[in-house]
Amino acid sequence: MKMEEMSLSGLDNSKLEAIAQEIYADLVEDSCLGFCFEVHRAVKCGYFFLDDTDPDSMKDFEIVDQPGLDIFGQVFNQWKSKECVCPNCSRSIAASRFAPHLEKCLGMGRNSSRIANRRIANSNSMNKSESDQEDNDDINDNDWSYGSEKKDWELKVTLPFILLSYTAKKRKSDKNPNSPRRSKSLKHKNGELSNSDPFKYNSSTGISYETLGPEELRSLLTTLMFLFQQCGVISEHTKKMCTRSLRCPQHTDEQRRAVRIYFLGPSAVLPEVESSLDNDSFDMTDSQALISRLQWDGSSDLSPSDSGSSKTSENQGWGLGTNSSESRKTKKKKSHLSLVGTASGLGSNKKKKPKPPAPPTPSIYDDIN
Amino acid sequence: MVVSKMNKDAQMRAAINQKLIETGERERLKELLRAKLIECGWKDQLKAHCKEEVIKEKGLEHVTVDDLVAEITPKGRALVPDSVKKELLQRIRTFLAQHASL
Repeated sequence: MKMEEMSLSGLDNSKLEAIAQEIYADLVEDSCLGFCFEVHRAVKCGYFFLDDTDPDSMKDFEIVDQPGLDIFGQVFNQWKSKECVCPNCSRSIAASRFAPHLEKCLGMGRNSSRIANRRIANSNSMNKSESDQEDNDDINDNDWSYGSEKKDWELKVTLPFILLSYTAKKRKSDKNPNSPRRSKSLKHKNGELSNSDPFKYNSSTGISYETLGPEELRSLLTTLMFLFQQCGVISEHTKKMCTRSLRCPQHTDEQRRAVRIYFLGPSAVLPEVESSLDNDSFDMTDSQALISRLQWDGSSDLSPSDSGSSKTSENQGWGLGTNSSESRKTKKKKSHLSLVGTASGLGSNKKKKPKPPAPPTPSIYDDIN
Repeated sequence: MVVSKMNKDAQMRAAINQKLIETGERERLKELLRAKLIECGWKDQLKAHCKEEVIKEKGLEHVTVDDLVAEITPKGRALVPDSVKKELLQRIRTFLAQHASL
């Protein structure tokens, strides 16, 4: 049709411009009309004057345009620097840190219950053997299923860290003794750790045990047990000990030996991988010497009030070898941390021992914990 | 027979308008204009003008659409800021250039 034949290109610019102006004018008129209808409707429906208020109220809610204030006139970070007094411990805490502090202070909230449960489980595992693990599970009905997973985590994460930090010559932890931060950095050390002066790094024996507190001692022992059954090579970037078996392909025997020498002294020997489940074949003299030494030293650190029970419990010792042989057999559920068994019973028990000979006199650690 | 005498220009304009509507460009332009007018305060200005002059003059009861239109439209046209006008014209020209050959 005619219209289709026409083309705009035939038109010159001025005409195009005129057309554009016309279109624009049309659009503006549309908008004006629209506005008129709105106003008319508002007038007829009665809401036209609704947004007018008296001058007094207008002044109250006027928009504020001063530097440093928002449009309501409020100061921006007013609450940042404010300090609140904790009702529980009566300490002055920064406002932004108040909520987490209160959570820990009152002992409520997820993290604090986790920490507490971990502490309980640790002290429990020291006393009881595997059969009591169900109790542990009942007590700790948190997100984690307690038991082997939790202990693996501890071994993997907390212990290497502890040991590595202990074998360093200087400690850098002493900032502000009163600041709540201190408890955070020490949190991984299984509960309150007094700022005891730990080791003198003795090159001949590795670590001198005399100055160890009971907590540290326990963690040291767990690491030792660790080293008897698992690879243990410390990964450079995560600082954790490798938890794979002694035949782990990622690390060489040399590395494993080096780790053991580092922790146990130059005479440490890599446990024989080929040995049958009878772990007694590996060099027990070393570990036995260590164990007996630890026994005496550990108990000497304890409060004298425990002497009555502690003497008898000493002999029950810390059957490292025993438990490691058990764990070898039944991989998963064995607790690495259960240190009960008689020292003399090393190597004699191949079966799972349901309960230790004597109920572990709620071992020495209970009182301390 | 009634011969509708539309000259070329008129036909041209009609064709363009048709194209505008068909492609939906007209609606888009309208929305754009509305948004820009609100943004620049045109609407509030006009509303104030309404309140002051028109309604108080004629009284709230007797306001009619015609009155409003007669009063508001010229003022409205005049109050449109230049930037808005320029932008809109630009878009229209672009559209025309795109659809140069029907």
